[in-house]
Amino acid sequence: MSEFEPSILCFACNWCSYAAADIAGTSRIQYPPNVRLLRVMCSGMVDAEYVLKSLEAGFDGVMVAGCHIGDCHYISGNIKAQEMVTRLKKLLHILGLEDERLMLKWIATSEGPIFAETIKEYVEQLKKLGPSPFRKELVT
Amino acid sequence: MSLEDIIQETKTFYCLDCGKCTGLCPVSRYNPAYSPRVMLENALFGFQDDLTYNHDLFSCLTCYACSSKCPGDVDYPLFIQKARALALDAGQHGDCAHSGTVQSLARLMSNPGVSQNRLEWLSDGLRISTQSDTMFFVGCAPYFEHIFDFDSGAIDAVKASLKILNHCGIEPVVLPNERCCGHDMLWTGDVETFRRLAEHNAAIIKEAGVKKIIFSCPEGYRTFKEDYPKYVDINCELQHISEFLADRIAENGLDFSEVKRKVTYHDPCRLGRHLGIYEQPRKVIAALPGIELVEMEHNKEESLCCGTSAFVNCDSCSKQIRVDRLLEAKATGADTLITSCPKCQIHFRCAMTNKGEEKGPDVEIEVMDLVNLVANALGDGHNE
Amino acid sequence: MSDAVLVIGGGIAGIQASLDLADMGKHVYLVEKSPSIGGRMAQLDKTFPTNDCSICILAPKMADCYDHSNTTILTYSEVKEITGSAGDFTVTVLKKARYVDAKKCTGCGECTEKCPAKAPDLFNMGLGTRKAAYLYFLQAVPRVALIDREYCIRMTKGLTKDGKPRCGVCKDVCQAGAIDFDQQDEEITLNVGAIIIATGFDPYDPTSLTEYGYRRYKNVVTAMEYERLICASGPTGGHLKRLSADGRDPKTIAFIQCVGSRDLHHNKYCASVCCMHSTKEAILANEHDPEIHSYIFYIDIRASGKGFQNYVARAEKEYNVTYIRSRVAEIAQDAGENPVIWYEDTNSRQVKSMTVDLVVLATCMVPRTDAVGLAAITHTALDEYKFFQTSPLAPVDTTIPGIFACGYCQGPMDIPESVAQASAAAARAAEIVS
Repeated sequence: MSEFEPSILCFACNWCSYAAADIAGTSRIQYPPNVRLLRVMCSGMVDAEYVLKSLEAGFDGVMVAGCHIGDCHYISGNIKAQEMVTRLKKLLHILGLEDERLMLKWIATSEGPIFAETIKEYVEQLKKLGPSPFRKELVT
Repeated sequence: MSLEDIIQETKTFYCLDCGKCTGLCPVSRYNPAYSPRVMLENALFGFQDDLTYNHDLFSCLTCYACSSKCPGDVDYPLFIQKARALALDAGQHGDCAHSGTVQSLARLMSNPGVSQNRLEWLSDGLRISTQSDTMFFVGCAPYFEHIFDFDSGAIDAVKASLKILNHCGIEPVVLPNERCCGHDMLWTGDVETFRRLAEHNAAIIKEAGVKKIIFSCPEGYRTFKEDYPKYVDINCELQHISEFLADRIAENGLDFSEVKRKVTYHDPCRLGRHLGIYEQPRKVIAALPGIELVEMEHNKEESLCCGTSAFVNCDSCSKQIRVDRLLEAKATGADTLITSCPKCQIHFRCAMTNKGEEKGPDVEIEVMDLVNLVANALGDGHNE
Repeated sequence: MSDAVLVIGGGIAGIQASLDLADMGKHVYLVEKSPSIGGRMAQLDKTFPTNDCSICILAPKMADCYDHSNTTILTYSEVKEITGSAGDFTVTVLKKARYVDAKKCTGCGECTEKCPAKAPDLFNMGLGTRKAAYLYFLQAVPRVALIDREYCIRMTKGLTKDGKPRCGVCKDVCQAGAIDFDQQDEEITLNVGAIIIATGFDPYDPTSLTEYGYRRYKNVVTAMEYERLICASGPTGGHLKRLSADGRDPKTIAFIQCVGSRDLHHNKYCASVCCMHSTKEAILANEHDPEIHSYIFYIDIRASGKGFQNYVARAEKEYNVTYIRSRVAEIAQDAGENPVIWYEDTNSRQVKSMTVDLVVLATCMVPRTDAVGLAAITHTALDEYKFFQTSPLAPVDTTIPGIFACGYCQGPMDIPESVAQASAAAARAAEIVS
């Protein structure tokens, strides 16, 4: 029986986090392939709907990555993302979903290695948590 | 189910094409593109695509204002419910409000692996048990606390309901893993998710061995009473808390402190036209000493809907319907608008939240659930 | 065996049947519940499609019927019991006391003028009042006064402390000495060979259609009330006025069709005459005041008789009547007590509101409640709507041999149809008693 490999969906903002992921790639920093990257222009445009649909689809972990507070290319988009995630976490807690399954992380452009490290740690965390309770209902 | 089956089941063929439905419909008042009569006309002509791909198919409030007066006794809301299921098969769905959060939560909750933390709002003084014959169905209230930009009041109503039941000597069963009743799923055409939710709820209720279920939410009540029997067996007596209170007041009376308030009562569609419960909430209000009840222009069977149903297609039309209703409430001179439905309460409070540069009539009025009004007058004599 | 015929109901159908039988040489007993024959037709202003004055064409028949040597008219009377079978029925009739000697009363009206007690005026559909001592209406046949025992002061309030009756004004002013307070109800037994039921209809009470605001809003009236308002012998002398305090002349009138008819929540059937009578009422309004614009809200216009379609066309062309295809959803009221009508115009597919001065509800017509009692007494069958059950090839035969039904109590129909059915019933009855 093979070990459980979690699936992660990461919404990464174009200006900071996605660029960081790019840098990690060009610097040949290894990180696990469990993550699917979805580039958005700003973490602020990540609507709760996308996160919820991702969880419905069966992803074991959802990550929202944006610029550090104060560095948002659109000034306050990341604040919106933070508010959205805070609110959604409360809902997911009632739903009984582990807090770790939704992660919010600020990653600057220059922080390629931090990006890789974050993914590594997240995969380990999710391996310990096990598959999402919604995973069996994965809809194609 | 085919369109022809839907027409037969809802007796659409009795339609006289008279337009009374459309004249009464709150959506048609503000949305010139929407006409229940034209929807049925299209169905009868067999223009299924005109029905399925019509965005306004999801605008109907399923409030029963039309059918209650339809001379042909056509069940239009049921027609809409079934047509939406057809539309979903064709990949069409309405615009889900609030990022589709409510609908997503319902779908997520329908998974067997879910183990919720839905009792954290329980505080000292509110007593539940695992032994009682009576269960209180909480519904989606814990989730409503974290979806809106304003206080939904949903958990306040749940707490007040428990306070009332405790006061009447009942420590009800409150299940830690009950699911959403599925009302919004059924009414937006997602029959599969609805069925799963119904089956989960039926199983845990059976396991709990309760004989009676009390609801403070009319949508949950209606769904268990009218819709569940087609899918599962619940085998319990079902009651809305206003019915419970009206019975109690008639039998033994309840010791209320004075409530010096002028109120008006909004009949929720699901409690009123769907289930015919108009008198019991009024009896409960009348039992509060010092209270004055003034009826709005449209009341009881003619009550106006609060403007949104199943959190779908909530738009400027919905807002106008709500504003109309709130203006009616204000016209009575009442201090407080009492309703008996957490959804109505949410929608009314939403209308009073000013967003951006909106300018409009003053619709500010206190909105309160019936159970809060009653609970405040019980026991400690403290009247908020 | 008897060669007399009993006719129950003194409206146009009952009168026609009586005349036909009397002219055939049969003796007819005509029993009528109200104090005068004439029925609903006497309450109408004009009849469609000819716009004849209704009472003007009815009164000669009423007089002929009353004066005919072969008729015995029992007004203010009710049938209480019927036994026997075709050819030989025994009928018990309760003749209520008028407290007036019919042989002496000249119908002068002095008692009515001087009587101090008031009562609701049912002939005028409750609009206005009449006196306890009264003549049922201006052209009443027989022209004999009566005293309403439920409103008469002398009869309801008992004696004074000195043991004297509280009132006797009518007796004092009656120059014919016709007042007789000691008159008693009389039980009369009749022996007849055949019975014709012609009890007619009642207008359906639209109060339960709360969306239309009847009794809530003063300027929403029923068609029958409108007939009395526009009739010269009515409570306003034929002057069409709004019922709200302002009492002004309406300039826009809305007629709402199918109120309580063609409706699964009320009466399933079509009352058959409302499309025509609303057209007539709209025409009359415009004749009274050419500035009046009428709107008729309909689902279908049923104009199937002779001259009917032409009548409707003339209403549109010559009398300022607009037909709008829509079943009105609800009626509200603005600050000036003007009815506001909300409806979907099914032709333009638009939801609109229209403010008018007066609304007339064309209510359904239902068999009189007496019909149910009569059916019980006679064991005749009623259909699901409480019309007397007949069959397509024997449309005036009830389920009991020897008993016939004609006019609206058999089914929705207008005056010419009622007259035709009455003659048919007369012929059928004549077969038995010859």
